[in-house]
Amino acid sequence: MLFKTKPMWGRQTGLKSSYDVVIIGGGLHSLATAYFLARDYGITDVAVIEKNYIGFGGAGRNTAIVRANQRTSQNVPLYKEALDLWPVLTRELDYNLMFNNCGNLNLMHSEAAMKAARMNIATAQFHGVESHLIDAREAKEMVPALNISEDITFPIHGAMYHPPGGVLRHDAVVWGLARGAARKGVEIHQQTEALGIGTQNGKVTSVTTNRGEIQAKQVLVSAGGYSAALIHGFLGIKLPISVLTIQAMVTQPLKPLLNHVVSSGAYHAYANQTLKGEIATGAHMDPWPNYTTLNTAYYIKHQAEALSEFLPCLRGVRFMRIWGGLADMTPDMAPIMDGNNQIEGFFMDCGWGYFGFKSCSAVGKYMAEFIATNTCPDMLKPFALQRYQEHRLMGETAALVSYSPDN
Amino acid sequence: MMNRFDHLPTLKIDGNTKIPFEYKGKEYFGVQGDTVATALYANGVRMFARSLKYHRPRGLYSLDGECSNTLMEVDGIPNVRTENTLLKSGMVIKEQNVKGSAAYDLLGFLDKLDWAMPAGFYYHTMHKPAMIWPLAMRQIRKAAGIGKLAPDFQMPGTYDEIYPTADVCVLGGGPAGMSAALAAAEQGLRVILMEARPWLGGHFDYRTAAYKDGQTLHDRAAQLAGEVEKADNIRVFTHTSMVGAYNNNLITGFQIGQDADPFDERYFEIRATAVVVATGCIERALIFDNNERPGVMQANCALRLANTYGLLPGSKAIFSVGHDLGLEAALTLHDLGLAVACIADVREDGQDEGLLTALRERGITVIRGWVAARAHGKQVKKATLTSIDGTATQTLDCDLLVASAGLTPVTGALTVAQAKLRYDNHTGYFLPTELPANMHAAGRMLGLDSGPAIEASGRQAGLQAARDCGTDVDAAIRAVRTEREHLSGPARGTKFVTAPVKGRKSFICFDEDTTIKNVKQAIDKGFDVPELIKRFSGAGLGPGQGGIPGHNLPLYTAKYQALSDITIRPTTVRPPLVPTRIATYAGAQHTMFKQTPMDAMQRRDGGIFRNIGVWQRARYFSEDFTCQAEIENVRKNAGMLDGSTLGKFRIHGPDALKALQRVYVSDMAKVKAGRVKYSAMCNDDGCVIDDGVVVKLADNDYYLTTSTARAGQTVEWVRYHTRYDGWDFALVNLTDSLGVINLSGPNAREVLAKVVDIEVTNEAFGFAEYKEFKIREAIPVRAMRLGFVGELSYELHVPSSYMQSVWIMLKEAGKEFTIRNFGVEAQNVLRMEKGHIILGQESEQRTNLLDVGLGFLWDRHNAAAKKVGAVALRQAESDPSRLKLVGFKMENNGRAPRDGAVIVDQAIRGYVCTARDSFTLKEAVGMALVDADLAKVGTRLAFFEDECDGKLIYGEVVKMPFYDPKGKRMKM
Amino acid sequence: MALTITCPICGPRNGYEFRYGGEEKGPRPEENNLTPEAWCDYVHLNECVAGVQQEWWFHRDGCGAWFTIFRDTTTNLQTEQPEASQ
Repeated sequence: MLFKTKPMWGRQTGLKSSYDVVIIGGGLHSLATAYFLARDYGITDVAVIEKNYIGFGGAGRNTAIVRANQRTSQNVPLYKEALDLWPVLTRELDYNLMFNNCGNLNLMHSEAAMKAARMNIATAQFHGVESHLIDAREAKEMVPALNISEDITFPIHGAMYHPPGGVLRHDAVVWGLARGAARKGVEIHQQTEALGIGTQNGKVTSVTTNRGEIQAKQVLVSAGGYSAALIHGFLGIKLPISVLTIQAMVTQPLKPLLNHVVSSGAYHAYANQTLKGEIATGAHMDPWPNYTTLNTAYYIKHQAEALSEFLPCLRGVRFMRIWGGLADMTPDMAPIMDGNNQIEGFFMDCGWGYFGFKSCSAVGKYMAEFIATNTCPDMLKPFALQRYQEHRLMGETAALVSYSPDN
Repeated sequence: MMNRFDHLPTLKIDGNTKIPFEYKGKEYFGVQGDTVATALYANGVRMFARSLKYHRPRGLYSLDGECSNTLMEVDGIPNVRTENTLLKSGMVIKEQNVKGSAAYDLLGFLDKLDWAMPAGFYYHTMHKPAMIWPLAMRQIRKAAGIGKLAPDFQMPGTYDEIYPTADVCVLGGGPAGMSAALAAAEQGLRVILMEARPWLGGHFDYRTAAYKDGQTLHDRAAQLAGEVEKADNIRVFTHTSMVGAYNNNLITGFQIGQDADPFDERYFEIRATAVVVATGCIERALIFDNNERPGVMQANCALRLANTYGLLPGSKAIFSVGHDLGLEAALTLHDLGLAVACIADVREDGQDEGLLTALRERGITVIRGWVAARAHGKQVKKATLTSIDGTATQTLDCDLLVASAGLTPVTGALTVAQAKLRYDNHTGYFLPTELPANMHAAGRMLGLDSGPAIEASGRQAGLQAARDCGTDVDAAIRAVRTEREHLSGPARGTKFVTAPVKGRKSFICFDEDTTIKNVKQAIDKGFDVPELIKRFSGAGLGPGQGGIPGHNLPLYTAKYQALSDITIRPTTVRPPLVPTRIATYAGAQHTMFKQTPMDAMQRRDGGIFRNIGVWQRARYFSEDFTCQAEIENVRKNAGMLDGSTLGKFRIHGPDALKALQRVYVSDMAKVKAGRVKYSAMCNDDGCVIDDGVVVKLADNDYYLTTSTARAGQTVEWVRYHTRYDGWDFALVNLTDSLGVINLSGPNAREVLAKVVDIEVTNEAFGFAEYKEFKIREAIPVRAMRLGFVGELSYELHVPSSYMQSVWIMLKEAGKEFTIRNFGVEAQNVLRMEKGHIILGQESEQRTNLLDVGLGFLWDRHNAAAKKVGAVALRQAESDPSRLKLVGFKMENNGRAPRDGAVIVDQAIRGYVCTARDSFTLKEAVGMALVDADLAKVGTRLAFFEDECDGKLIYGEVVKMPFYDPKGKRMKM
Repeated sequence: MALTITCPICGPRNGYEFRYGGEEKGPRPEENNLTPEAWCDYVHLNECVAGVQQEWWFHRDGCGAWFTIFRDTTTNLQTEQPEASQ
């Protein structure tokens, strides 16, 4: 290269032979953990290694939707803290994460769904998170484009309205965290592929990469959809995970039309308008595991059919781009955060499915605490791998498991 | 209105048929065959729209829709690509994204503020102090977006869908595609040929240069098209854009309907054994200052305006080109009357000598090694040319600047199908190096230039596709290969991207207003590959996606970083390759639900229906959603519920019992003939997934019911859990062939007795017994005495075709008791009072069979049967900290909490599944799932409801069932 | 992507006619002395292979058979053999 450039996340340096902590994966959870390790514990001898470019996996392929209206009391506080952290991070990182606090409307299409929503809402309100059940007419007032007639497949009975939620610019979060971590001394190594984790006497000793071996006493794998395969490949630890391609798409940009995030479980669809004016929409996962990140003809058509029903004005706009990412699904739709358990010094943060973006800020903070203190914070205790053996699935979804985590 | 040529052989317009349309409130006329944009152009319109960010004026640049320059609102529909949308009589055309008009836009000043908006500027601004961001965001949203859609907009038109199959699907109706289709069709194969334009011919069609032996390219196109049309086994779809290509050769696209078609647009999904991609080339944009001004257009756009649409695009033109097609266009247009001031060709040499001679003969100067540096004027008035080293310039007057860096192959179909492309130094193209199975590429997209070579490559691809379909064509393939050795190969192409300018107003992406300067800024910040530049600068993210920047971005990125070799990959091309309306993808909408045999009668009886799973079911029979009348009628009299949605199965065969032992938790060997056995199925976590009854018809022959929700998965489930065993049994789904009438209430026996001939006394037909009999010696009935709602109750399983008859008989018989319908909600309350659970309502992922109080069903001693769920139940049964199902009553005769209320102390300890102010019990009761330590009878429960403002209500755990604890009523 | 699955009874069909049934893990384990670890491994744990795996499918909109195939999870293409096709 003729011109030496200085990337926002620090000048490219050589890989050292040893770090205190090595984090595998250059996505949001890794970058956030690295940032908080440096910020809260002064641990800066940290290498984040990424096979491709930072933000190339799920970090750049998510809904960018944030919310804290989950189902169980183990989950809500974690996501609430994540929500509270966005303004803090915007200020600290001095980077505009473009949080559009537009609120989320989760549509309900039956009496049973309204009851289920009421349980989520009561749970949220008990934890001090704002969330309300509204009827179809109120939903229509907030989102005039909604079709609340009876003659669609899933007539709208009402919605769970969650004002504190919204949408961020996901790339900004990646770049802001990377810059913030790098400024505190964390090294970010792109084009650096982890090939193995070395252990001795039940303890982590090193990470092998395509650029050589690194000594490390603590290693975190938070590589999004690739975590399960890496952890099994490196350490032989199997996880209750299925990795599925999940898709999203955008329409051509329009003048402001949707002022909230609208989502529907029955239609398997969410829709929100980006700051640029595109309607971003998606949700459905392939019904079989794969790492292709390929989009499908089946899904874009399904999405068009769904939107035609509940947001029929969108029939007049064109889809212009569809893409796919990976969701690593667990049977209970709750993540696995564990450490010093199977192997001393080995930490994992995976199984996020499609919740990885909305949780990254808070999880970074708590995983950093876990790694720095070698003690699992109370907030993360319910997420240990052990729960599957104990027949204590978390209930983040009420749905039962049939054959494998994805169905 | 401009004069049209009327004598050219290439014309696709009928100048004598005028088409009226409205533009900005005034009436104009185009002609038959015009696109909206050519009609506007003919009427002198040059500024079509304003750009997204800087509100720069934009004009007609291409005719293939690869940028947003001519997006307009047509008949209220936003973002219509007017350059390739056919004009129809009466269309109403409006400009978009303008404050004022496209010609005079009040926001045009934004173009001067570009210095304040470097690539990614918004990440560094507007967040300090935090309070300004929401305000800034509102302004950004208002400014962003092109095209308006009202929330109550209703997309007009009829949309269809079609799923054809073919042996060979050919994408692109140009010379290569037609040759491929003909070659495959000659082998007797079924061929589909898709072409986005209204006609076949591709680039041959609008060119009058020589093909060979005195034939023009246009005439050759007509000849090939004639042969294609004659071939019965080629289905030609024109006006049909391909939008997606997937594994195993699934091709999607859409067709725009013409006057005679019964659809406006129709969605295509084609499954083909083999695919030939012959999508040709478009032009690669030339980058210089103001390279997207109205008055700047691509060479083929200028040429097609004249040859296809009969419009001379300007009066005095400057050409800045990098390919012989640019020279050919200049020559043709000159001969049609366009004054050509000069031609700058970025190539120092390598031009076709014949073209150079012809231009020289006409007195047209060709300056080699020169390029346009700047277009002047809001609409081009002058252009500055420069030597490519930037040392010499000259400025000339013109009203048309024809600018084109070269060609770029349309490889979208290949890349979305996961072909691998690599940069080719000779052509300057990204060429396929690895194609998916049974996919072949042909024609100009491979860099071929000469007509015969293009056709031969098409024939070869068509034959290879035929071979994929199993025909013996090896000799023919060898012959065409030999033929191709004597034809010219790929032509040398130029890699030239941008004139030697600073790039502040040089646009690499028109849609997102991304300049060369922005790209430099992105690279300098470390975003050094096209995929990152795209994310950071927006290049290629607009309505036309990578159409304009797709090829230039990797070329420029490599050049700016002085990479010796172009190993850089272009950005990922993603479907839909042509932006496609949601209405089009949705196609013919169809909502599908199953209806029970009683559907029509229940609706006549005032049933209020809900969509429940795959069914439509009557949930209520009055506007009183508490269902008081329905409930009290069942408790005191007799009611009828349509239970036809219940899953119904017969399992028989030598190993039928073994299969039942595997999937049910109970010991199914104990099922006695003539008796009804209630049991449940669990999953491997021990969660109850289904409950129902089993009746033994004979040895290894059983009739069983499942819940409505599980009916669709039962065969799959039973077979899954026995898949290694090789057991011999048949499992037949009878759900749709039998209906179910639930006749319940203290008078049920008297009603039934009037209809059936058998003895129905409690002694003759007792609780939990099963009977088969015929009504009027014709209608076979399977009858069970059950008690889900807690009353004397008969469940009659009747062939679907007889359901209405039996229902009417019972209704007639029940007249004297004023028998009436009850719906799903009344049943819900009735069974709750009885403490009977509904799966999914009183159970969830965290609860197993034991937790919901059904442990009595479990035969825990039969480990050899490997019952599904047994291991988990055994391992979890001593865990003291699980959720348990309890019944509760409210304190002080208080009202019931709302379903979904949570039960709290310091933390959330459970939640209400179902609770009602019971008419029967005259008090509020309900069922809840609570932590095991709260499950003891007498425990006080605090309910936290949504919107309760911290005001809790209280209840107490009581024994279930609430109603008729001894079960006398259902056994009476 | 258009997944095409070859049903042993019905031949190659559109993948959406089928239901995925998990990685091939062998027959149900014997229950006696089955540890929670072993039970969990059988029921929940996956190898999540990025490559060819043997897996179960059910022809839901067809003949109703359960069968296994080999499929490359990185391409969604069925393969003849357990080894990667390349």
